[in-house]
Amino acid sequence: MTSGALRKGPLKPVGDLLNYSRKYSLWMFQWGLACCAIEMGAALAGPRYDVMRLGVIPFPASPRQADLIVISGTVTDKMAPAIKRLYEQMPDPKYVISMGSCANCGGPYWDSYSVTKGVDQIIPVDVYVPGCPPRPEAFIQGVVMLQERIQSEDPASRWNGGHWEPIVVGAAAGEVDA
Amino acid sequence: MSDDGAPDAAEGATSMSDSNVALLERISTALGSDAIVESVESLGDLVVRVRADRWRDAAQACRTELGFDYLSFVGGIDWQPAPSADEGSGDTSAPVQPKEQTYGVAGSAGRFQVFARVASTHVPRVGLTLKVDLDEESPAVASWTSVYPGADWHERETWEMYGFDFHGHPSLRHLYLPSGFEGHPLRKDFPLLAREVKPWPGLVDVEGMPGDASDETEAPDSAGGGDA
Amino acid sequence: MTATEPRAPGFEVDPSLYRHLADAQVNVEIDTGDMVLNLGPQHPATHGTLRLVVRLDGERVVASDVIIGYMHRGYEKLSEFRTYPQITTLINRIDWLSSFANEVPFVHAAEQLMGVEAPPRAQYIRTVLTELSRIATFLLFLGEMGLQVGAITPAFYGFRDREYVLNAIEAATGGRFHPNFNRIGGLKDDLPWGWAAETREAMRKILKSCDDFEDLVVANPIFQQRTRSIGIIPAELGASYGVSGSNLRASGVDWDLRRDGKPYLAYDAIDWKVWTHPDGDSFARYWVRLQETRESARMVLQLIDAMPSGPIMAKVPRIIKVPEGEAWVNTENPLGEMGYYVVSKGATGPFRVKIRTASLSNVSIAPWLLRGAYVPDVITILASLYFILGDIDK
Repeated sequence: MTSGALRKGPLKPVGDLLNYSRKYSLWMFQWGLACCAIEMGAALAGPRYDVMRLGVIPFPASPRQADLIVISGTVTDKMAPAIKRLYEQMPDPKYVISMGSCANCGGPYWDSYSVTKGVDQIIPVDVYVPGCPPRPEAFIQGVVMLQERIQSEDPASRWNGGHWEPIVVGAAAGEVDA
Repeated sequence: MSDDGAPDAAEGATSMSDSNVALLERISTALGSDAIVESVESLGDLVVRVRADRWRDAAQACRTELGFDYLSFVGGIDWQPAPSADEGSGDTSAPVQPKEQTYGVAGSAGRFQVFARVASTHVPRVGLTLKVDLDEESPAVASWTSVYPGADWHERETWEMYGFDFHGHPSLRHLYLPSGFEGHPLRKDFPLLAREVKPWPGLVDVEGMPGDASDETEAPDSAGGGDA
Repeated sequence: MTATEPRAPGFEVDPSLYRHLADAQVNVEIDTGDMVLNLGPQHPATHGTLRLVVRLDGERVVASDVIIGYMHRGYEKLSEFRTYPQITTLINRIDWLSSFANEVPFVHAAEQLMGVEAPPRAQYIRTVLTELSRIATFLLFLGEMGLQVGAITPAFYGFRDREYVLNAIEAATGGRFHPNFNRIGGLKDDLPWGWAAETREAMRKILKSCDDFEDLVVANPIFQQRTRSIGIIPAELGASYGVSGSNLRASGVDWDLRRDGKPYLAYDAIDWKVWTHPDGDSFARYWVRLQETRESARMVLQLIDAMPSGPIMAKVPRIIKVPEGEAWVNTENPLGEMGYYVVSKGATGPFRVKIRTASLSNVSIAPWLLRGAYVPDVITILASLYFILGDIDK
């Protein structure tokens, strides 16, 4: 990551505090499309896998108040423009978690005439959570790994053209190529 | 109603169960026996192929005279065999279908058919499958929406998937596909391009496929397993 | 109230504004144009990617159009390019809440064409897992319909209780949903040791929680006011639209494919009841599903007690080739009648699979049903019809 003023020198504690507060108050815009949305719902609303204890709040009133979008489910060509429009409505810094194999790469419908082969064809993705559907624990792992990245990142890098490798949940270090 | 154990397609009316024979009688009386081109019992279900110009009359007879108040679905079939890999379509991983054009249990005059299923919510275990042949050049048939309002969406789906025209339908427009979609996906000559560009990933597995055409059994015979 | 009447204390208006208030009153009487409101495809209240375009006159719906297809994945075309076991993997995801129940009619159709029958133990286990899927689906419904109407607590109860059922399904099949447990000819594996005792315990918890739902939601006067007489489906019209399942039973039609269709699985062997309600409104649909959840829990208890022992897989060849023929199998899935019309030409994969899904027909009545409804009732009606987008869009 590029290092801006908030990541070094006397302002570094400010940067750490800013990142700390950002990572524990992620407002998640839930784009629940298909089966993965049920697992995401179990992670959010279920008392067993409660993700609110990590600070991820799942009910923003509109995309303009959201930091995080989770694409869970199959992306079809008919739905793709709506996803793109809603992604563009979110203010920066924003993060995208692609949940499930349909959102990662088209999944079981890789040969369908109406399915977009992966949401990363439309919007940039920060975390890939593989699975069909991924267990709520896997989804929470993705959120936690994203939070770790937020803690150590420079917020200005998103405007300064910084480049970051997407996280793949379940992959050992060094195995991932973007 | 006894199940017809023989799955062979071309059985005639002689092997039908009694209830299906009675049902066929009632349909013939309601529509006139010249409206029925062929009828057969397939695995316990009565399948009746009607003449194309009597399609809506058949629906009306089903709803009013035969008491079939429930519409299950209306769909289409394209009997043309899909182009196979050795004809150069490039997809080597799909199951290989026979190359001759055959027509299923109630036969067909050509490539396209519309079929529908109706049932009764008052009489248990009775239902009827109806089929009708469509012209290959300009496939069209009467719409059922004036008889069964639920046929509206089924016919829209059949239109967008096959290109069949339904006369009398209030508005034949896309149901599932985006409005700019070109082509009719369920026709056999509509290729799935993703499969032609790249073969089924499972083909690159390390393990070879088990021996073909062998009748060895695969039953893990766990007698009395579990604790129920 | 005219501009010259005294206002309540505290409500002070600049007198120069009185003219505007008078204008506002006049505007109410002028006939303004209808407003077109677009709900979806992303909306917290629609159950997935459904788009509803309604034309409003004030708060009342004049006309509506339902636009679907945002989850269309092309199952029927994909089935023509896959072998039978591969399709079993795929069709789980049509109705993604009750995924075990989606596989059953297809596997049944293939078995009928092949002339094999799954052994009795496999039939019983299939029945148990189907009923567990039904309970899981309905618990989500019982929770989220409360949510759509405005009560948030039932949603948490529903999700909590669903976890018990998903635990049981996962212990047996390995997957919380999308188990891929059916094989043509039987099942993949037998039940694990101790499963019956745990499932009995889970069903007791479900029965208790159904009583909770009854006290919390059904008896709640606000819920009753929001749902009684809202969205009445007449029985005859519903049947001609193809509405099926609990929606039709809530309109008084005594029809359940587990009893009235061709016999399948182990429903003949146990004692159970079909629940109907004469009203046909949203409350009736909620009530019927609540009773059916209880009934399913009792059925699971009976099935576990009556389970025969034996093999769980019939003798089928390793490579499944289904002989030529056409089979239609429809079953009572949680959402309604689901059926597969399988056309086979003797290959390892089908020639054509026509999938009849319940939610497509259930939602097709929505434009008729929403005429004259208020905007909040639109949400109530859609919630009570209970569709799954994958089931509508295939």
